[in-house]
Amino acid sequence: MDTSNPAVFVNAELLRMHVGRRVRAVIQVLRSDGGGSVIGKSTDEQQLVVKGHPSGPLSTFVEVIGIADSNQSIQAEIWTNFGDALDTACYNNVCQLANGDFKHLFI
Amino acid sequence: MYGTSQFDGNAAFSGGGFMPSQATQTADPAFSPAKNRDAQALLPLTVKQISEAFQASDDKANFLIDGVDVNNVKLVGMLFEKTERVTDVSFVLDDGTGRIDCHRWVNEAVDTKEMELLSNGMYVKVHGHLKGFQGKKQLMVYSVRPLTDYNEIANHFADCMYAHCYNTRIRKLQDASQTPGHMPNSAVNTPSKGYQPTPSNHFSVQYNMDGVKGIDKSVLGYLQQPSCIAREKGVHRNELAQQLNVPENKILEAIESLESEGLIYSTIDEYHYKSTANG
Repeated sequence: MDTSNPAVFVNAELLRMHVGRRVRAVIQVLRSDGGGSVIGKSTDEQQLVVKGHPSGPLSTFVEVIGIADSNQSIQAEIWTNFGDALDTACYNNVCQLANGDFKHLFI
Repeated sequence: MYGTSQFDGNAAFSGGGFMPSQATQTADPAFSPAKNRDAQALLPLTVKQISEAFQASDDKANFLIDGVDVNNVKLVGMLFEKTERVTDVSFVLDDGTGRIDCHRWVNEAVDTKEMELLSNGMYVKVHGHLKGFQGKKQLMVYSVRPLTDYNEIANHFADCMYAHCYNTRIRKLQDASQTPGHMPNSAVNTPSKGYQPTPSNHFSVQYNMDGVKGIDKSVLGYLQQPSCIAREKGVHRNELAQQLNVPENKILEAIESLESEGLIYSTIDEYHYKSTANG
């Protein structure tokens, strides 16, 4: 068992609280700038920059796990395609709860 | 000739008859009444919760989370470090809150097939049995399925929070009112009404009234009055008929249906009834 390196559920709003730590976020891919970063929309509808090189083509919704770089960017380590249909509002609620009243169940 | 064939038959029978009965007997302790169904329910958890689980005794399968016995658990996370051996497959499950070691025995072709589908980095839903082994917690997994709908991730964690709320709230109420019984489980597909046995009397009264109509409702309402709940013997059928001004055969019908719903029970005889909402 190892709980020393959790990846916290975040949206853009919550990202700023975890700069320098491991996070996970779902983004809707908007565009790739070709230079090793992807621009996406967070589950709370703000723009996020995800740095790194995905191993394959990305679906509409992508989960990235990595280190929170700044208020608006994540250095991604793991990319997971979440398909083309996802309830982002539901995911966003879980982000908020996982950083709020139920933080102790997660980190 | 006859004697020999009879002897053979006996031998075959006693052997065949004895073996299965022995098998049933040895299996029995696992189904002892002490282990009720609640305790075996599938509990949605995060790895963080498991890491903080309290081991109630030296017994290797006795963990407490939120005051509830934990046996079977449901987790959703990424699979890593998959290692196949002759008799089992081991892997690490990372659900974002932590990592836990998992083992899956591979006995049959079905097990092998299920495990072959999985590769490192895949999101999976795991059902298993939480076990302490040499001071470490691990999961003896009996089902590992790749996620096909990624909404299940948010759903699972929402489920964990719900089950946590449910069990902690129950415990608080239990401490306050000594109400027996808990509901450790929160299966995804269980509609919220499945959680009816809320120990708070007010809630159960309100909940139980849902879907109860007509005479059933007035009978139940009558039995749920604090004065009736307080009566040890319960209420006589005739009293119900008189007080509610309903013919006795209608009262009987109502009693039968309420009893089958588990809302009321007979006390000293089949004439006296009490509400299951305890006082």
